[in-house]
Amino acid sequence: MTSPGVFVIFFAAILLAVFAWSRQDETLRLGLTRAIEQFVRMLPRMICALIGAGFMVKLIPTEFIGNYLGAEAGFTGVLIGAVSGLVVPAGGMIAFSIAAALANEGASFPALISFITCWALFTAHRLFIFELPMLGASFARLRMLSVLVLPFLAGTIALLATELLSYVTVE
Amino acid sequence: MEESQQQSAGSREWWAGLLRESFGPTFWLFAGFALAMAWICYSLLGPEAFESAVDRDKTLLANTLPRLAAAQVVAGMIWVMLPRDRFSRLLGANSGHRGLAIATVAGIITPGGPASAYPFLAIIAAAGADRGVLVAYISSWALLAAQRIIIWDVPFMGIEFSALRFLICLPMPLLAGLIARRLPMSLTLISDASAGAVRR
Repeated sequence: MTSPGVFVIFFAAILLAVFAWSRQDETLRLGLTRAIEQFVRMLPRMICALIGAGFMVKLIPTEFIGNYLGAEAGFTGVLIGAVSGLVVPAGGMIAFSIAAALANEGASFPALISFITCWALFTAHRLFIFELPMLGASFARLRMLSVLVLPFLAGTIALLATELLSYVTVE
Repeated sequence: MEESQQQSAGSREWWAGLLRESFGPTFWLFAGFALAMAWICYSLLGPEAFESAVDRDKTLLANTLPRLAAAQVVAGMIWVMLPRDRFSRLLGANSGHRGLAIATVAGIITPGGPASAYPFLAIIAAAGADRGVLVAYISSWALLAAQRIIIWDVPFMGIEFSALRFLICLPMPLLAGLIARRLPMSLTLISDASAGAVRR
């Protein structure tokens, strides 16, 4: 689970704190106060959400999704991909290992694109763990309506791209 | 808001107010969600799966909370040091397409996963970024974040797939931002509840 990005964020925290301290004014104290306020404010909700998400991952029927998505191509594949992306409430490791398994089972490129796009934009664990406690339901609603068409759009572009590419290769 | 922080930060009243907020009404919704999931998991899958889920929960908590604390320190420092007038020119309601483009680039280069992306989102929301910029930033991070592509996308799917996916998704955050600016919905942010909800 440890990745370079994690070190970057810890390093950035230390760097910024040292810089704020070097200003010799209220910066460090105000910044830390703000950090503590934000952290404490959402901590209890976040702990509950993380615990809930851990159980939720156990409940997803990944094999079932794989069997289903492998069989369909064309725009139906795009639709099924999008719906499958909705029901993967887990981080990148699980989502991409499912995507890789789907690719092995013969899922089409457009279906995989709409699967990943939909997962990235709508995954439930991020909504519960981060978006609702930190931004609120009003923002979540606005955001989800704004991105609603994107998985289908991305899938369709991928569909057109594959058509185009296969045409070029045949030529 | 900073005035009141200066006066009371660290005091007994400050902690009491903070804890009242953190255990507010929505906390019980989240607690209910966790309990419901635990119960469904136990009754559908049995004690063995339940125990492995508990292990997963421990790892999740141990991994996420320290990152989140670090990200909040970064976000807090940025919050204090951010030049507000220049910021709102760049990312406020009148920032136009340029604001959406900046948000997209910021989303791509944000390191550290959701535990840092969402605190940044809350910071730019509280600092006055407009709704299009907020939606574009988090969509860009979700679809195009360089860190996720390097760590998961390329190893699992191969470089060709990842590059094509990146190209296809590149215009999406901009589009989402434009849609968000046109949706006739009210937006109430809880990011600084203490200063009263921000309507935008």
